[in-house]
Amino acid sequence: MEILQYALRKFITGIPLIIGVTLISFLLMVYFGPDKTYELAGKNPTPEQIQEIRHQLGYDKPFVARYLEYMKELVTFDFGYSDSTGERVSSILKRTVPISLALILPGFILGNLLGIALALVAAYHRGRWLDKFIMSGSVVGMSVSFLIVIIAFQILLSSNDGLGWFPVRGWNVYNFWDYLHYVTVPTLATVFVALGYNTRFYRAVIVEEMGRDHVRTAKAFGTPPGELLFKHILKNAMIPIITRIMFSIPMVVISGSLLLESYFGIPGVGLVTYDSITTGDQPILKAVVGITAVLFVIVLILNDIFYKLVDPRVSLK
Amino acid sequence: MNTLAEDRNIPGESESLWGKAWYKFRRDRTGMLSLAVVMLFLIIALGVWAGLWGQGWSSVEGSMWAKPSAEHWLGTNIIGQDIFERGIYSTKTAFEVGMVVAILSTILGGLLGALSGFFSNSWADEVILWLMGVLDSIPFYLFVAAIAFALQGFPYSMHIAMIATFWTTTARLVRGEVIKLKNFEFVEAARAIGLPRRLIIFRHIMPNTYHILLVQATIVFVSAIKSEVILSFLGLGVVDGVSWGLMIAESTQEVQAGHYANFLTASILLFALVMAFNMFSDSLQDALDPKKVSA
Repeated sequence: MEILQYALRKFITGIPLIIGVTLISFLLMVYFGPDKTYELAGKNPTPEQIQEIRHQLGYDKPFVARYLEYMKELVTFDFGYSDSTGERVSSILKRTVPISLALILPGFILGNLLGIALALVAAYHRGRWLDKFIMSGSVVGMSVSFLIVIIAFQILLSSNDGLGWFPVRGWNVYNFWDYLHYVTVPTLATVFVALGYNTRFYRAVIVEEMGRDHVRTAKAFGTPPGELLFKHILKNAMIPIITRIMFSIPMVVISGSLLLESYFGIPGVGLVTYDSITTGDQPILKAVVGITAVLFVIVLILNDIFYKLVDPRVSLK
Repeated sequence: MNTLAEDRNIPGESESLWGKAWYKFRRDRTGMLSLAVVMLFLIIALGVWAGLWGQGWSSVEGSMWAKPSAEHWLGTNIIGQDIFERGIYSTKTAFEVGMVVAILSTILGGLLGALSGFFSNSWADEVILWLMGVLDSIPFYLFVAAIAFALQGFPYSMHIAMIATFWTTTARLVRGEVIKLKNFEFVEAARAIGLPRRLIIFRHIMPNTYHILLVQATIVFVSAIKSEVILSFLGLGVVDGVSWGLMIAESTQEVQAGHYANFLTASILLFALVMAFNMFSDSLQDALDPKKVSA
């Protein structure tokens, strides 16, 4: 109950953020965005026809009215119909979001788990060659562009010049075996790129925790290494780790899959967003931006609640 | 190594943060090596800018997919343009994007961060914090596309979008530092002798955040170059000229036909610059960190 109250209170403080994001993106994408009148008007339109179309598209209404309409769409989750395909935006999202999640989740989870594992190894051998080896590896990983990794993995694993084990592009998933077949190369690319950044960040966090007085004391009292690691080091390192994971969720879902999906031709939200960027399909863009903003605020709230769960000193008041 | 004679040199160096940092940095072999690589790239970029080399990037001279030869060092691409020239010219594009974005977003982040830190908990701070939160929550690619639309084919819309999103991290760091600094005695002293707030912020507080700004600028430089590649690939980035991103974009067709020269040239140049800059940034951070005792 306390948590629910807290979440509600937090959501109310998050409203200015949602308003800001939607206002700026609405201003940029719709108000200054592409004008669809002449695309719909056909050849040699009369001034009356133009007037008619502008009215249909709502261009003649004042800015505030159009913005409020958008807010209403966001609250009711009804964004109308896509300009280019005529499909309902909500049904497009319902179809594509699960694909994006299925595509991005394995890489996201593996990237973080492996990052933490490597960071622990590096921190445990701090200053020795294994640490230096892992950390140089992560700088190399950080320096390779995501795009290059994607192309290189595709050449090595999917193309005829390489091993040719996996499909080059597309997403024909009907069963679990298909899923593994299509998801492997994108997942490997995601993990490769995320690993450098993650390992570095988690190592810094863990090294800081390892240097604390209570860890030294516990060690002096003869705590076994496993207990020392999980109870005294990792538990305290959880707050920065959770924060990092949580805050990467909204960005990973949209930005990460945008490149992956447009490169591999996978019909998820990223590809739909990319297509609507290139064709100026405003209803979809409005939906994606609005939902991302709301997702951000939800992540902010969940993050604070997690703090409470992990650290009993944090109060929700 | 650490002889007495060497130790005696230290007091001869400047005792300021910068003097000590430079002393430490010179001793850092990785740091000096990476700086040398970055300088090499900078010279290449300046040479292109001055018109010394890399000028033939757009001319179609060779045949399609020519093998490396004395005339075309790395062969030619799908329409017969010299890959070496294009790779060299793209270095200039990369530096242009990196420099413009790093400098402007650092200035913006430094100024707004200092203001919001100095006036923390006032309405101005609230507004700046709100703006940072908003900019951080807009999906980056959508933001770039939106700005490109709104500015109607303006060639620098990618730069503007990057500056508008990259300054927030700098501003957050500076804000935290300024909140710490403004309670120090020297600020109190400056206030006590009646200096105007403008002078206190810019003369007394800001210079103490320059080391953060410098490190942050190198980090932004790297992010800008990496983002440029992806944005150009997606068709949202560099409009005129050529860049490593555009080279990779055109190479995707060639790669399918088994011609890797274009892809490898762009990738390796990009990787070398980003890697050197990352290492330089790390060493700089170590050298400027006053908490780390010099060996």
